[in-house]
Formats: sequence, structure tokens, C-alpha cells
Amino acid sequence: MSQVELTLFLESAVRLGIPLALAAMGETITERSGVINIGLEGSIIAGALGGALGALAFEGAGLGVMSGAMAGMLVGLVFAAFAIGLGADQIITGTAVTIGGLGMTGAIYQARFGATGTELSLPTLAPVAIPVLSEIPLVGSALFAQAPTAYFAYLMAPIAWYLLFKTAWGLELRATGEAPAAAEAAGVRVRLVRLVATLFGGAMAGIAGAHLALAHAGTFAENMSAGKGFIAIAVVVLGRWNPILVLFAALFFGAASALQFFLQALGFDLAYQIFLAFPYVLTLAALAGWVGKSRAPAALALPWEPHR
Amino acid sequence: MSAGIAPARAREAALLGLGAVTLTLGAGSVLLLLGGYDPAAAGAAMLRGSVGSWNTFVSITLVRSVPLLFAGLAVALAFRAGVWNIGAEGQLYAGAVGGVWVALTFTGLPSPLLVPAVLVASGLAGGLWALVPTLMRLRLGIGEVITTILMNFVGIYMAAWMVHGPLQEQRGVFPQTDRIIEAARLPALIPGTRLHIGFGLALVIAAVLAVMLRRSRFGFQIRAVGASPEAAAVAGRINPARVVFISFLASGAIAGLAGGAEVSGLTYALYEDLSDGWGYTAIAVALLGGLRPGGVVVTAIFFGALQAGAGAMQRDAGIPAAWVDVVEALVILAVLGLDRVRAARAATSTVEGGA
Amino acid sequence: MSDPLVRLRGVQRRFGRVQALAGADLDLRAGEVHGVLGANGAGKSTLFNVLGGLLAPDAGSVEIEGAQIALGSPRDAWSRGIGLVHQHFTLVPALSVKENLALGLRGRSLAEISRVVEATMERTGLRVPLEASVSAIGVGDRQRTEILKTLLRDPKVLVLDEPTAVLTPEEVDGLFDLLRELAAEGRAVALVAHKLDEVLAVSDRLTVLRAGRTVLTTERVDATERALVAAMVGGGVADEIALGVHRMSLKPEVPALDPSTVVARLSGVTGDRLSNAALEVRAGEVLGVAGVEGNGQHELALVLAGRVRPATGGAQVPDEVAFIPQDRRTEGLVSDFDLTENIALALSRLDRFGAGPLMPWSGLAEEAERIRIRFDVTAPSVATLAGALSGGNQQRVIIGRELALGAQMLVAENPTRGLDVAAAAYVHGELARLAAEGLAIVLVSTDLDEILGLSNRVVVMTRGRIVEVPENERTREGVGALMLTGRSQAG
Repeated sequence: MSQVELTLFLESAVRLGIPLALAAMGETITERSGVINIGLEGSIIAGALGGALGALAFEGAGLGVMSGAMAGMLVGLVFAAFAIGLGADQIITGTAVTIGGLGMTGAIYQARFGATGTELSLPTLAPVAIPVLSEIPLVGSALFAQAPTAYFAYLMAPIAWYLLFKTAWGLELRATGEAPAAAEAAGVRVRLVRLVATLFGGAMAGIAGAHLALAHAGTFAENMSAGKGFIAIAVVVLGRWNPILVLFAALFFGAASALQFFLQALGFDLAYQIFLAFPYVLTLAALAGWVGKSRAPAALALPWEPHR
Repeated sequence: MSAGIAPARAREAALLGLGAVTLTLGAGSVLLLLGGYDPAAAGAAMLRGSVGSWNTFVSITLVRSVPLLFAGLAVALAFRAGVWNIGAEGQLYAGAVGGVWVALTFTGLPSPLLVPAVLVASGLAGGLWALVPTLMRLRLGIGEVITTILMNFVGIYMAAWMVHGPLQEQRGVFPQTDRIIEAARLPALIPGTRLHIGFGLALVIAAVLAVMLRRSRFGFQIRAVGASPEAAAVAGRINPARVVFISFLASGAIAGLAGGAEVSGLTYALYEDLSDGWGYTAIAVALLGGLRPGGVVVTAIFFGALQAGAGAMQRDAGIPAAWVDVVEALVILAVLGLDRVRAARAATSTVEGGA
Repeated sequence: MSDPLVRLRGVQRRFGRVQALAGADLDLRAGEVHGVLGANGAGKSTLFNVLGGLLAPDAGSVEIEGAQIALGSPRDAWSRGIGLVHQHFTLVPALSVKENLALGLRGRSLAEISRVVEATMERTGLRVPLEASVSAIGVGDRQRTEILKTLLRDPKVLVLDEPTAVLTPEEVDGLFDLLRELAAEGRAVALVAHKLDEVLAVSDRLTVLRAGRTVLTTERVDATERALVAAMVGGGVADEIALGVHRMSLKPEVPALDPSTVVARLSGVTGDRLSNAALEVRAGEVLGVAGVEGNGQHELALVLAGRVRPATGGAQVPDEVAFIPQDRRTEGLVSDFDLTENIALALSRLDRFGAGPLMPWSGLAEEAERIRIRFDVTAPSVATLAGALSGGNQQRVIIGRELALGAQMLVAENPTRGLDVAAAAYVHGELARLAAEGLAIVLVSTDLDEILGLSNRVVVMTRGRIVEVPENERTREGVGALMLTGRSQAG
């Protein structure tokens, strides 16, 4: 494999990994507060459509990303209303939100652009090369010549890590995810913390979706999230609920998705579908292999009612 | 931790279901209005497309409800045992692949042997598809929500690969299998209609599950483990792992039958995108049916009507077919919401925080 | 006589059909230690949860330093100087002691918090391992951390809810010294308990709650045990039983049988929190297993009851062992099942209900009805959901069910926890009766009085090991000392 091919592979790996990283980092914060948001997929697809429509309406990809974030946050709000507000089961609520999100975006898209829609052409998020860093041989262009959302992801990791482990707010968040009763007794507003964490996760997933539409594909297609929300949840496990490790795990998965180019370049000729299935199989294998080495927040997915 | 909602007494479950449907109709209408559509026209089109005539009802609605019925029963059984089987979609595809493979391979067998063979194969394949998540949960303690969802994707691509490759039709033009021979096809349940005996089989399975859960020892163990694995183990000396193992695989097998019955009863071939998200719809079907086999039969037909009417809705009222997914989501949320209301009212006689 | 720091008047609170507080009054004054007494279910914890901002009262007033306040959350209570030390620890196991102490303290840097923590530890003599994870420290340390956490916020009012249940007698003395000091500093200290002698030892004034109301408030000097007990239990329960429950003078009527019929034997059992545990259980005796919670008692109970196979070592237990688990709601009953189904959980395997793949529902329903009547379970019918019953009635169902097994041995884990006086007396009566009839009983309890009052033999569990208590040391002090020396570090 030539250097050019390897560089292309790495660029693809990062490009495919960024949406995972964004969504997974958001979900890390959400899960650290004790909430598992299976509806993440719904936030991503909402962000993709929201990003697309926003970019068209405001004639700019940047505002498109903001719209995507808002859309993702809105879906997160619906999830929070039921799972946190009403205390409904988080798994089922999340499943419903995903089904609804995929359906709603599909319906809106079909309604506006017709069932056999002509491909939207959207204002795209052009890659921005960072001087000097992007010149580094091999990895430079892969890591530092990406869309701005990628840089946002890189920055988010240490920021999230710092917030989580070094600030009083992060301590409260972690306490909420480990022992909400104790947090409440210490004066923490558990449901508010969880709501904020969930909205943050939704917004990040929305940005991930917007990245998919505006930086990656350059268009919107129904169900274009293709299960990235679910893989993101697995990435959170693999990254041990640590934002920095989660970033790396996500990039690793981007590499797995990009593998089809790598293997084709090496001369393997497997069916296209097997390549498509590969990331999911790899996620399963990774989950199986990593077991026992990390521990979820103790109160994750458990319903909690405040005293009153 | 039991799966999500506590299936209340039958009467409560029915009330909850009706309430959820009413709420959904209301919320759905509001959303339609916001989108500039006419809810009344939508409703009328939907009714016409689903129950407008006897033929429509039998040959479209009931036919559409068959895979939902199988998958809904699969999901209900799993949830009752405390197993989050979100993987009915993948298990369904696995079942379809298994069934169609037998149908295409053992063409020498006479119909009375081939038809059951096809169905058994699809059940086995579905059960096998559930094996990986089952083992990951029992041996490695990995939650089955994510693993079953991941297996869905693997299942869909596996089936796609099959019809592009090993099982592709002779002339190799389209990504689909050859049509299966007459002897492998499910006969019609009502002659002259498209309704095949798969529907009857599903009803039989529903009856068996109902009796099992209510009356058999194993059914009791399933309910106990689903409600409280700790109490089942300590007070009942039941082995939760064994119960989970059997229920999970059985659930996969029944979901596999959904695929097998569809392929051998309706389409007579396998192609990509066989399922329209039935595995996920099944979750709404199971929940709305209160996780009871009898309820699932009713709700599967209801959702069959929804899906049947969706096409008419799109043609006549211009509403995109994806709208049905939104309705499903609303149904699930409505059931959850109402269940919380029920739980809040039931928490009457327990004293909190007092010693 | 200064004005009280805290004045609670006519506080009412109901949960569904249960009136937990029906007009409770309480005055807490600066400089005094105030003991709040009451049987289980009298409303003590509920009252203080109201003061602590965790619960809203349905009626009544809360006055702090003369001003009437509505406390909307624990944060509100903290800001008014109310410090509540809870009965069930409110620490986050996964975080370190230091992080737990810092939790919820806004507006101060971590460095500042560290300084205040050190200073407070100096002053009070409460030392805790700051860097250790809470899940790794012992119960005594957790208690101290809880108290420190509260003291860090410099509360004017300090309330401790049942703090002594998990402490050895020596630790209790230390705690009481601290409380007197804190009161002397000008705080109002309140101690909630149902153990009479402890409260009498440390309080300046006492208040008794019964059925959600304040029935007696008195100075310590004026208080007599008899009057307090009478106030706690009111009419309806014979004086002797009431006093007996509190003095635990319920000695078993039949002395221990000679060691002939060994019903169960453990040797070298090691595993989950058990370390080379060895034990023999004989017919007709009550074997008391004492110890502070968390030393392996639950694991021992599960092994003895045959619910769990030990990782290593030999465990010979009978096929059928009746088991009353301490967590009624999670391990004893399925809340969403009705009485018949809950009883079926344990009994459906029995031969007398028949074999075969179908559940013998009619036979089981009859048995359930029989149990309901025989054990006086207050429930409309056997179709009532177990979750709707009170703690005492749930315990009756479990006892009735387990006894119907006809087993040779019964393992009872903290069987009277959370029960009111009458229900507790009932349980103790049943246990004594069963032992007299020849049943082998293992009584695992963190309540020393319960153990000493009922057992023929006593062993102490510390760190997964079992130590027999010699006959002459079967007193609170003796057993307490054993509980202490069994541990490698104090606390």
C-alpha cells in the first residue's frame, strides 16, 4: 500500500470517526449522570436533517451545524421529558424516540423533497487545514485537514474531561450517576443535572448528524445515521466513560469503517455487504473483549424519583 | 430489574391500551395539522386502505399483521422474562434466510415435509441469531440492548449479502433469490385470499404462550424472573440464568418464524429490505398489548391496519408513509406515560422514609 | 430559657393511605442534646426528613430561629443551618471520602475545602481516610464521614437519625461524647432512636412520638423508663411484652439441647466476603449471628439457606431451608405478584401440590388463604398485591410461607427490621415457639439486644470469619468487644 493510499485511509478513518466521537462524548456526559439515551440515534438523524435544512435556510453550513445541534437537543428534550420527567423506562423511551426520530425525519424529508427526492445539494462544511500541523507526514492531513466540527471534537475531549473530573459541577454530575439519593441529600438537584446532561448529549449528537450531512455526505438521505447512535453508545463503554478515551475509541471505529478501502487497496475482494457489517461485528467483538475492565456509573438506567 | 412496564391485570392493561391509542390519535392529529395535513382525510384514507372492504381487511391488513404478530409475541415473551430483545429485526432476517435456504435446497421433499422444514429452519435460525447476545449477557454481563441492536445491522447485511451472492437467483440480475417451489409455499388459510396459514400458526403460538405464562410452571418462572430476579432466586430458588437463556432463544426463534412465514407464505422469495422495520414495530405492538399474548394479537392487527393504510394515506392524503413510524413512537410514549400515571396512583399504601 | 432554634408545630404528612405524621411538635434548643424516641413507624424519620427539606409537610409549620420557613429542598435546609445525618448512609460508594465531603459544597475551591476538612478533623477528633474510596472503608469510617460531611457546613442544628445501629458499643460511647461537645458549642443536637437506654444515656430532654404525634416531652431528670415505654407503645400491647421488647429479657424457655442433632455444618467456606467460615447448627437451638453489617452476614445467610453454593469449602445444609431475607421487598417477595403467587414462589415445588408441568393454582390458592388466616395477614384477599401490604404484613406472609415448607432449619436475617413494636414482638414470639418445637434457627441480626434476648448460642462475624462467644461473655460489652477485636483497625 502506498503512502497516498494509507493517507487516504487515515483521512477516511478520521472523517468517519468524528460523528461517532461527537455523539459518544455527549453520551458520556449523559451516562455519567445516570441516564442511558438509546434515543441518541434519533438525535443524530434529527441533527442531520436539521443541519441540512438549516444550511439551506440560512445559506451557510455553520448555521446549519447550529440548527443541527438545536434539532438534536429537541429530540433529547422529548426523551428527557419521559425518561427523567416522568421516570419512564429509559430503554423503551429511547427506542421510541429513535423510531420516532427516524420516522419524523423521513416524513419531513419526503414531504419537502418528494419520495424519490432529487439529491439535495447543500452548502458544505469545507475542510479547514491547520497550518503546520496539517503538514505532518502521514497523519497531518488526516487529523488536521478536516471540517471544523472535527476540531470541535478534539477540543471537546479535554474540556469535557476537565469539567467532569476537576470541577465541582463535574463532581455533582458523577455523584448523580453513581448514587442519586446521596447526591440529593447533599443538595444536588438530580433531575436538573440529568436534564442538562441529556440536552448536552442531544446537542452533541445533533452536531454529529449535521457533520454527517454537511461535512461528510454533502446531502441528506433517510436513515443516513445508519446505527451510529448505537455504535456511539458502545464506544462510550469502550472508552470507559472517559471523554478522552472515548475520542480515541471513536477514531478507532472510524478506522474500522474505513477498512473497506484499506482492504480493497490491499487486494482483498470481499462482498460489499461484509464491509458494511464489519463495524458492527467489530463493536460486538470489542464489547466482548473489553468486559470487566470498566464499570458503568452505578445508577445508570435505573429510575429515580426525588423525595417529596 | 423487570422489563420496563409491569403488565397490570388484564382489565387495567386493556384500559391502558385504549388510553394510549386515544392519546396517540390526538397527538398525531395535532402533528398532522402542524404539518399542514388534514387529519380527517388521513384517518379516512387509512381506514379505507385497511378495513375498507373484506378483501382489504383479509388480504392486506391481516397479511401485514402476520410478521408483526410473530415478532410482537417474540418481544413480549422476552420482555416478560426481563430480557430486552430489541433484536427481532435481525432475528427475523436470519429466519428468512434460514427458511429460504431450506426451501431452495431440499426441493425433493414433498410438501407436508418441506413446509414444516422451512418453518423449523427459520425458527432455528432466529434462535441462533439470538444466541450471541444471550451468551454475551449471561457469560460476560454485557447488556443485550446494544448487542441485539448491533446484531440487527449484521442480520440485515448478512441477508443482503446472501441475495447478492450465495443465494442469488439463477439469472443473477436482481439481488433476490429464485422463487421457491410450490411445495415449499404455505397454503392459504382462507382460499382465494392472500392470507396464509402463517397467520393461523401465529395465533396458535399466541395461545400456547398465553397458557404457558398463566398456567405452566415454566411460565411462572419466566414471570418471576422478569419481575424480580433476586426474589426468584432467593425465595423461589429459581435459576434466573436458565430462564433467561431459554426465553431469549425462544424469543429469537419466534421472531425468526416471522421471517420464515413471510418468505414462504407471501413473497415466495427473499430480497433486500424484506422487512419494513417490523422488528422495531414489534416493540410497540408488544407494549401496547400489555405484554400479554392475547393483547398482542389485537395490537398486531391494529398495527397491520396502520401499515396497510399507510400506502392509502400516502396516495390519497399525501402523507409520507414514514409517518407510520411516528405513530408507533407516539404509541410507545403514550403507553409509557400512562403506565407512569398508573404506577403513581398505585403507590398508595407504602410508607416512605419513615421508621 | 432561650427560644428554641427549631420549632416544629402540628406537622402532618401522609403517603397514600398511611398518615405518617398526624400533628407532631418538637422544639430543639441550642446547647442541648434532644432525644427523639418512638417505635418503628412512629414517624421520627419522616419528621426529620421534613426538617431536612426532603419532604414537604401537608400541614403544620417549620420555624427556624423564629422565622417560619418552607423548605423546598435539602439545599434550602442546608442554607438555613440544618444538618441531617441520615440513617441509611448518603455517601457515594464510587467516589473517594474527600470527594464525598466536597460534594454539594459550592463556592469554595478544593484547596479551601481541604483546609476546612483538616481543621474539622482536628477539632472533633474524627479521623477518616480522605483518599480512600468509600466502597473500601468500614462502616465506622462511613459513619464518621457522614458526620464530618454535615459538620463541614457548620450547622446550627445537627440531627442524627438512628446512628448507633451500625456501631460497636465502644464507638457509641465515642459518638455520644462528641455530641455533648457539639451541643456545648451552642448547637442544637437531636438524636433519633428507638433504643431507650442509649437515648437516656446522652439526652438532656426527650420527646416521644407515637403514630405520628408527639405524646410526651420531658426533661431527662424527670423521665422514667416505664413512662417512656408506655408513651412509645400506648395501649393495646401488654406492658410486659413492651418492656420485654425493649429490655430484651425474652429468654428462650428451653435451654440448648445437647449437641446431638446437627442440622447444618459449614467448614472452611471461603468466597464472597466469607473467610474460612465454620459453623454448626443444631436442632432446637437458636444460633445468634451477631456483627456489624457488612462483615459477611448476608453471604453466610445465603449459604446456610442453600441459596448459594460457596466457592470453596464444605457446606452441608438440609435440602429445604426456610429463609427470611432482610430485604423483604427485593429478595423475599415480588411486589407485583399477589399473595398466592408469592407463596407459590417457594411452595410450588413441594410434592404435596403435585408434579407435572402445570402450576397447581387451586391448591396453592387454598394454601395461601390458610396462611393468610393462620398468620393474621391484614389483606383483603389472597389476590392482593404484595407491594400493597405494610412491612409487618409482608413479613407475616414470608414467615407463613417459609414455615409451610416444613423445613428442619430456618435462617432469619434481621427479621424485625422496619417493623413496629407489635409486629416485632410477634416475630420474636414465633421464633421462640419454633425453637421450642425443635426447629433449628439461625438468627442473623445487627441488633445485639435481639440476639442476646433470643439466642442459645452466639457467634460473632467479623470480616467473614466466625468467632464463638463463650457463655460468660454473652453480654453487650462482651460481644461488643469481640466485634471490635475481630477487626484489624479501630473503626
